[in-house]
Parts: sequence; C-alpha cells; structure tokens
Amino acid sequence: MTKNIPHFPPHQDLQAQNQYAYDEIPSDLFVKAPLDQRKSEEIGTPSVSFWKEAFQRLIKNKGAMISLVMLVLLIALALIGPSLNEFSYREQNLAHSNMPPKVEGLEWLGFNGQNSAGVDQYAERDVQINYWFGTDEFGRDLWTRVWKGTQISLFIALVAAFLDLVIGVIYGGISSFYGGRIDNVMQRIIEILMGIPNLIVIILFILVLEPGITSIILAMVITGWVGMARVVRGQVLQLKGQEFVLASRTLGASNPRLISKHLLPNVMGPIIVTVMFTIPTAIFFEAFLSFIGLGLQAPLASLGVLIEDGYKSMRYFPYKLIFPALVISIIMISFNLLGDGLRDALDPKMRK
Amino acid sequence: MERKRKTQIFMILIAFVLILSGCNFNSSESSNEESAAEGEAGQVLNISTTADIPTLDSTKAHDGIAFTVLNNVNEGLYRQDENHEPIEALVTDHTENEDKSVHTFTLRDSNWSNGEPVTAQDFEYAWKRVMKDASPYNFMFVTAGIKNAEAIMNEEMDAEELGVKAIDEKTLEVTLEAANPLFQSLMTFPTFLPQNQKFVEEQGDQYALEAENILFNGPFTLVDWTHEQGWKYEKNEDYWDADTVKLDAVNAYVVKDPAAGVNLYETNKVDRIVLSSEAVDQNKDDENFDTILEPEVIFLRFNHNHPVLGNKNIRQAVNMAIDKASLTDVILKNGSTALNGIVPKGFFKSPTGEDFRDLNGDFNTGTVEEAQKLWETGLKETGATDVTVSINIADSEDHKKVAEYIQAQLEDNLPGFKLDIKAVPFAQRLEIEKAVEYDLSLSSWGPDYSDPMTYLDMWLEGGSANRMDYKNAELEELVASARTETDLEKRYQMLLDIEKILLEEDAAIVPLYQEGAAVLMRSKIKNLLVHPTGASFSYKWVTIEE
Amino acid sequence: MKRYLLQRIGFMLITLFIIVTATFFLMQLLPGTPFTNPEKLTDSQLAILNAKYGLDQPVAIQYIQYIGNLVQGDLGYSFQHEGRTVTSMISDRIGPSAFIGLQALVIGAIIGLVLGIVSALKHNSLLDYGSVTLAVLGMSIPSFVFAALLQYYVGVKLEWLPVALWEGYSSTLLPSIALSVTVTATVARFIRSEMLEVIGQDYIITARAKGLKENQVIVKHVIRNALIPVVTMLGPLAVSIMTGTLVIEKIFAVPGLGEQFTLSILVLDYSVIMGITIFYSALFIFVVFVVDIIYSFLDPRINYKGESA
Repeated sequence: MTKNIPHFPPHQDLQAQNQYAYDEIPSDLFVKAPLDQRKSEEIGTPSVSFWKEAFQRLIKNKGAMISLVMLVLLIALALIGPSLNEFSYREQNLAHSNMPPKVEGLEWLGFNGQNSAGVDQYAERDVQINYWFGTDEFGRDLWTRVWKGTQISLFIALVAAFLDLVIGVIYGGISSFYGGRIDNVMQRIIEILMGIPNLIVIILFILVLEPGITSIILAMVITGWVGMARVVRGQVLQLKGQEFVLASRTLGASNPRLISKHLLPNVMGPIIVTVMFTIPTAIFFEAFLSFIGLGLQAPLASLGVLIEDGYKSMRYFPYKLIFPALVISIIMISFNLLGDGLRDALDPKMRK
Repeated sequence: MERKRKTQIFMILIAFVLILSGCNFNSSESSNEESAAEGEAGQVLNISTTADIPTLDSTKAHDGIAFTVLNNVNEGLYRQDENHEPIEALVTDHTENEDKSVHTFTLRDSNWSNGEPVTAQDFEYAWKRVMKDASPYNFMFVTAGIKNAEAIMNEEMDAEELGVKAIDEKTLEVTLEAANPLFQSLMTFPTFLPQNQKFVEEQGDQYALEAENILFNGPFTLVDWTHEQGWKYEKNEDYWDADTVKLDAVNAYVVKDPAAGVNLYETNKVDRIVLSSEAVDQNKDDENFDTILEPEVIFLRFNHNHPVLGNKNIRQAVNMAIDKASLTDVILKNGSTALNGIVPKGFFKSPTGEDFRDLNGDFNTGTVEEAQKLWETGLKETGATDVTVSINIADSEDHKKVAEYIQAQLEDNLPGFKLDIKAVPFAQRLEIEKAVEYDLSLSSWGPDYSDPMTYLDMWLEGGSANRMDYKNAELEELVASARTETDLEKRYQMLLDIEKILLEEDAAIVPLYQEGAAVLMRSKIKNLLVHPTGASFSYKWVTIEE
Repeated sequence: MKRYLLQRIGFMLITLFIIVTATFFLMQLLPGTPFTNPEKLTDSQLAILNAKYGLDQPVAIQYIQYIGNLVQGDLGYSFQHEGRTVTSMISDRIGPSAFIGLQALVIGAIIGLVLGIVSALKHNSLLDYGSVTLAVLGMSIPSFVFAALLQYYVGVKLEWLPVALWEGYSSTLLPSIALSVTVTATVARFIRSEMLEVIGQDYIITARAKGLKENQVIVKHVIRNALIPVVTMLGPLAVSIMTGTLVIEKIFAVPGLGEQFTLSILVLDYSVIMGITIFYSALFIFVVFVVDIIYSFLDPRINYKGESA
C-alpha cells in the first residue's frame, strides 16, 4: 500500500515544478512545502503484519464469519450434544422404535411427535420422554446419534486432512526444494496419481482393508495428499527464486533453516486454504463411501451411515434423513465459505 | 482461420453428444412402447423382481429368479401344483419296476419354440450336461438318488454313466440307486428340465444369455429381455396345455430398491411387491397386505474351537439372551417368526401328519436371568472373565439389522460380553465361514428339497455345510441310519432325534428366526402360486379378475 | 505440437498400465471366492470353476494373461453372471450413464452460464447474491443428499416425476438434475469470477471507448473471453459427474455403469470391478487429455512446443 508512492530527489522535484509553472500563476505564489527527509520514508498507516491484515480482511467477510460461528457451534454440539440427554448412541429400546421427533415448544416446526400418517406416536405408545430428533428402528435416540456421527465424521476428516498436510508438505517441499532430477521423478509420480480417478482408488483400498475408521482415513490419504503437494511445490518454486531466499543462502543459512524460517512461513497461506478445502472433501468422501455401503461398522455411525439409514426409510420416516442431511450440508457449506474467505484474506491474488 | 478451427471443434463436440444421446434415445423409446403395450386390454400380470437373470441355462441356473423364469417358459417331467405337489407335465405315463428303482416315463407330443419336437433325448442330454459340467445344482441328482450321480460328482465315473436313458423318442428310463419317495417332487426342480442338444450346441457359450438364445416349451415364451431392466413373457400358443393358460402376458420389472417398488405399486405399474420392513407399518392395514412364511432359516454358527464359545453353557446363554420375538416383530416386521429349532415351521409334516416343529417343540428357551446364570457358570468353567468376539455377517440390509440387534442384546444381557460386527460381502462371509475363521457367524439356510433332512445332514463332520468344526458321533450315526431307513415313521423319529442332539444336547447353534415376506398384491390377481422350494412362482394358472 | 502429443499419449499409456497393474494385484488381496451361490458349491466344483477362470494358475501367469487379453480389448468374463463378458456388461450399461451424464452436463452448463453471467453483470445486486448463494449450496451439498431430497420431495411427495426405473425420457430427468447441481454451481462460480476479471481488463475499456454498444461489449468481448477458461473445467466436471453417477444411479435405479460398479463391489465380482475401474480410468485420462488439446486450440497464448506461457 505504501511502497508505490514515488519519492523523487528534491532537485528533480523542483525542476518539475518549474517546468509546469504557467504564466498566469506566478511562481512566487507557490510556497514550497518543507521537505522532511524522514517523512518520505514514513509509513502512512500503522504497521500491520501479514497475519493481522489477513485476519482483518477475514473479519470483514460476513459469509466466512457466519460460517465460522456455525462451525464452532456444530463442533461444540458434536462434542457435548451426545451428553445433553440420558441416551447413549448404542442403547436400544425396542418399545420406543421409530419415534418421530418431539420438542416441547417447537411443535409448530414439525417437532410434534406425529408420524407421516399424522398419528401422535407419543400419545399412542404412552411415551413420556421426548426424543428431540426422534429414534431409529432400534429405538436409539437420533439426537445423540447425529452428534456422535458428526463427531466421527469430523474426526475422520480432520485426521485425513492432517495426514494429507504432512505428506503433502514433505513431498512437495522436497520435490521443489531440491529440484532437478528428484523433482522430475517426483513430479512424474504425482502426474500418474493425478491420472487415476481418486474415488475409484479409495473404493478399491477400502475393499482390501478391514472396514473401519482407520481404513477409511488411509484410503482417503492414499490419493488425498497429491493436491497439497502440488500447492506446496508451486509456492516453494516461486519463493525459491526470490531475493530474500538468495540473501539468506548467501549469509550461509542451512537448508533446514531456509525451509523452516523462510519458505514454510511464506507458504502457510495457501496451505491453510488447501486444508480448508480438504476437510469438506474428506467429509464428503466418508459419507459417500458409507452411502454405497463401504462405511463404518455398527453400532458406530458417521453422518454418512445415518444418511444411508435415513435414505432407506425416508418415505415413512423422513426425519431420519433430514437431520443428518442438514448437519452435513451445513458443515460442508461452512467449510467452503470459510475456505473462500480465508483464501480471499490470505492471498487476494489467488481469488478466482 | 482461428475461428474456423474453433467452430470445427465445437461441431465435433456437438456431433459427439448427439451420437451418444442418439443411441440412447432408441432404447428409451423401445421401453416407452413396452409401457404403452401394457395398457392394452387383456390378461396382463405386472410383477417386480429384485435382480436380473444371471443365466437361463437350466443346467447352470442357481438362483431363484432364473428358476422362476425357467419354470414358466419350460416344461419338464412334472411341475408343482397349488399344494406344491408334483403333477404330470410332459409325462403321460409313468411306470416303475418292483423295487421302484427304475422309472419309465412316456412323454406327450409337444414342440420347442423352433418347431422341433421335445424328445426323451433332450432330457438325457440336459441331465448328463449338468453332471459333465459339474454345475452348481448337480447335487440334486444325488439327492434324487439317480444311479451313479454321486460317483460322477466325486469324479469316480464318467457323466455318460448317469442312470438316465432315452429308450426312444418318447420313452425315458431313469434308474435310481434305490427307491426314493421324494423322486417325483424333485422332478419339478428346474435343473431337471430338458434341452435341445442341437440348439444348445449351435449357441455355444452364448446359450440362454438373451431371449433369442433359448428355446421354450412351457406355458410362456420370453419375448423381450433387457438386461437389468426387465423381461416380458407372452402366452405360448404351442404349449400342450395352452387352453389352461389365461394370461396373455407377464411383464417383469427389475426393481432393486424396495422403496421404488412401493411407488410402482401405488402408480399401478406392478401388481405385486415385496415390502421392506420400513414399509410394513404404513401398509399393514391395506386389504392387499399379506405375509408369507418361508422355509429359509437364519441362525448363528459358533466356532466350536473358540476357547469360550466352545463351552456349551456359554452357547446356551447366548441362545437365551436374545429376545427373538422382538427381533422379528419390531425390527423385521415382515412376517418372519422366531425359531427355536433348525427345522422351520409349517413345511415338514410327519407321516402321521404332524408338523416337525410341533413334535420337537422349542429348544434352549429361557429368561435373561437363566441366561446370565448359564453365562456365569460357563465363564467359570472356561476361566474367562469377559469375552470379546466378532460376528461375521453378509452386508445385506436385514443381516446388518439383525447383527446390530444381537450385538445390543448380548452386550446388555451378558456382563462382560463384547461383540464386534464384521460385515463383508456375501461370498466373503461364506469363505470366512468355510475356513472357520470367525467367532460367531450369521448364517442362513434354505431347503434343497422337501424333507427335514436338508437341514439336518449339514452338521456332519467335514460336510461342506458344517463350517464350524462341530462334531458329534451320535449325530453322524443317526444321519447315516436315517438315510437308509425305509420305515417312514422310524425315519422321522430319527430326524427328530438328530435335531435334539444338535440343539438340546449340544446347543451347537443359535436358531434365530424363520424368514418371512411381507407382500402387497392386488386382489384381482388370482391363482398366483408361490412355492417354498424350487421355482418360486407359477404363472400358468393365473387369472386377472377386473 | 506433434512431439508434445506423442509424449502425452505415451504418458497416458504408462499411467493406464500402472493402474491396470495396481488394480490387478489389489484384487488378488481381496478375500473370498467371487462365484455366485458358493453356499452349496463343493470343493471339486470350485476347482473346476477356478480352472475355467484360470484362477488355478500362479498369479504372475494370470497377470500376463490378463494384460494380453486386455490389449485385445478382452476384459474377461463376469464371475457372477456366467458366460457374460465384462465388455458386454460395460457396453450394455454405458448408454444410460452417458445419457444422464451428458444431459447433466448440458443442464448444468446452461443454468450455470446464465447464473454466472447474470450475477457478474449485476454485480453486488440481489440477483448476484442469490446466484452466489445457490452456487455455494450446489458446491457444498453432497450430490447424493441432494438426490435423496429431490427424490423425496419431487418424486414421492409431489409426484411430478417418476421416482425411479428407467422408462422413457421423464425418468432421466431427476437423475440428470441431481447430477447437474455440482456442474451448475461450478460453472456459475467460475463464469462469474472470470467475467468480473475480464470486465476490469484494459481491452474492455478500449472497446467501450471505441463507442461499441454495451451489448456488443458484453457479448463479443466479455462473455467470449470469459468462456475460454471454462473449457479447463470440463475435465474436473466430467470426473465429478462420473463419480456422481455411482450413487445417483443407485438412488434412481438407473441401469448404468455406476450402478453396476457399486453392485459388483457389494458382491465382489472381481473381473467386473477391474474392468470398470480400468474403463473409468481410461475415460478419465482421455477426457483430461482431450480437454488439454481443445484448450490449446482455443487459447492462442498456450503453445506446447516448450514450456507453456
């Protein structure tokens, strides 16, 4: 913002003034502003660090801020939601199977305990407790299960994103930092991996591995890190040629120091943005896998498993589909919007 | 120049899109015609089916859907009537020798759909073909007791030596190892259908994979078979009993999703659907709602080598800790019923006319408290304090539900019990079972023939259906003697005793329930026969009364 | 250019070869026999079947045979549907998939273009916010969630369109719409930001300064220049449609390739899983390749002689 102000040497300044002086206005009407050598170097606005500035930009982005609030809320619910009532996610009670949702005071919103035929199941079966999100066919409380599922989905996504990050940064970093033949070989490997539709790879790996949380994470990471590696490589290549790296190198900085002190902090922005988009992708893949029947083993339930269960009975018990579908949609939207916001804030040039 | 090139590329792209969509429109147009045809007057039955036909080669078919189609487009020696009893089909005369081991059939005059007559040679050819190719259902020939079938199956003899011979065009002679009271009823099974040798050989490995590649001699012909979408039967005017057949056509639609099935029923596309348990509540008051009890049984296998599950008290405790009635009534809701024996209810009568289940009663029933007591004793005996085991299941909808239910029941009712669910594809479940690499396995078994023995000889040591390293010398002996016993009442008592050994003495498995099906069928459909064994449906006698 | 093409094709073949090899050996790791109804198969029957499918051979031999057959376009026989070749199963089912896929692409592209252009022209208006919101929803909501909701509300509740089955044109609509959502959103977002960028370019100002009518400026300069980069989206879009078909076809019971793939996975029909995997990968690689070539034709700034500009 400040670096573009040209400051000419004083004598040039004077000459310029004289050149454009018109006859109508006598030059003596002009009073030379006192020229303060120090002021020309002064920065107009208070000095802001890159991160602070980015943060300020982010705060101005309404969508991103609302998303952030939503995410915090959802994560909080995922953590404490399951303990907000007396049910556990696996406890069955066949006498209360398929109870529609009911919340005192929210009857007008559809939380009235009536099934799709309009019969109040709570009155009919003489059930005293209110199930906020209803129950499934085993009589398990869906409120607890939805938030437990959110917990698991988020966990899977976060771990997968973290592993992508670690592998991607190391791979991309090595590839770009050393360059030359190493880079060439590593790039070819990436190109081949990019050539394979990743969903297919994920499915094949899930088939081979024992079903469970670990397998899902592993299967997603197998191809997931490629995107991160490419981002990191691109950024590092760009930075490597810049003067401050050269300067640091001339001053005798070791490779690890160069990487940790100069390169990493400067690629942080794009990395954070990439992670922000990896998380919703991972949530999506997990749900996708569960939906085609390659998900978690019961009684554990992720959002994907709940959606699949709900889908099967949506004709008769639409609430089983709607709640998990709503939660996953909100999470996806929030992460995407927050990701957008961060990208705009961290690197306005990346904006597309 | 630049612009020209761009337009060219766009033109190519557009052409590509048009070509692709063009080929497709044809197929959707043809299915339009099909649905239009259905509106025509006449006796038309519209049904839904859950999957495509894998193959219509009667010697290779191994699934209910193919069996049903074969039963309706082909004719064998016998077919099942409304009581599932065999009635003469192509047979006009049937004579037996004194010891009932040689059967001579005289065939009626009838033709294949290409005009050639159906001959005794067609039977001989098809039957030997089953044995030669070691087809999936070759064991049916052993069950039927046809001479040399077992030796051929064990590769000790050549398929040509099978006890079947065409004396002349219209006379078929079948030799059995010994008299077999089930022989006639087994002859209704689609594996015993005839095949026209010349036609089969002409078609080579494409035989019976499309509607054009198969010949018909039954009540209907298959006129259209679009893979994965459906097929259409039309009345076969050349059928020997064509006067009996009232239906003009049957449309079968492949509907994999039960929810979609409900919709098709409601929009009058199909006349009969099987409901998933979710759909039962909404439809159970419909006048067209019905449940059917099926002879398939669902049970738990134990790995008898397991240090804790090898204990009988533990197995009994597991048995009693599961509330089977709630499982069938609240979770499954499709007419399946709790089972406390291995032979299902309602299909197998003793020589004196009593049901097998009524005679043997329930095994291993008890309260949760009793279960817990047995559990404690069992744990003490095995020196264990808690048990963590896994259950091997096929990842079908119902089985997953059952497993989730059992998991909660056992973990809640038996202190220290921890059950992990391992859902795998069906074939894999069997593989794990056969290798006995599981702790508990959720299994199912359907009958191959109408006799309790089909549920009882599975438990022989080393038998291919044992799959849990269970052995009991007494049981082995009883099965062997029951196989040769000719006094029917004595034999039946032996069968009852075998089940007692299996469940009362050893609590070797946990019977869970007997399969049921909840269906919606329009009341205008009359005489649609649903058979418990062999082919599931006969359309021959169906009429539609508007 | 020629050299670049050859290099690309060589690379495609190598990638494909690696995929085939990896898939083949992954399949070897899968447990279970792939035959139907093995419940009642005896060991000798199993041995015969294994011999028939060549499964009794050492893995290395099986591999060489598979590659040999593959080169001739033979993907082997299905284990589940006796006698049916994988090739015929793919060709039987590619029609419906291609149809709903292309239809989704067309629907998505048209709606996406309109939304994107409108919101760029009416930048920061209510219309803009509306279409941006739609785009975010479309990008974020998983396609199968959207499909399930669509099926429930449009098919079951309102009964406007057939819920499922593959009968006549109307049954292609719901699956296509469900599939097109991601396309619509992606295209709309992309067009919007491209156009906003182009509008700010000097040559637009020049065009206006020349006194061109606003309509002409928009149509001739802004939209046309904003459209070119959209071609690059075709690759990722085709992929998202392909993966979308896996679940969408399951939901709407479309007898397409995706449905066959998920089905084969559930019954472990090795040869079909492999065949479809290879087919999908080849298609994917080919689409990316074609998109690159088209793009090089459309954008004169790109040349493939050396480094791209």
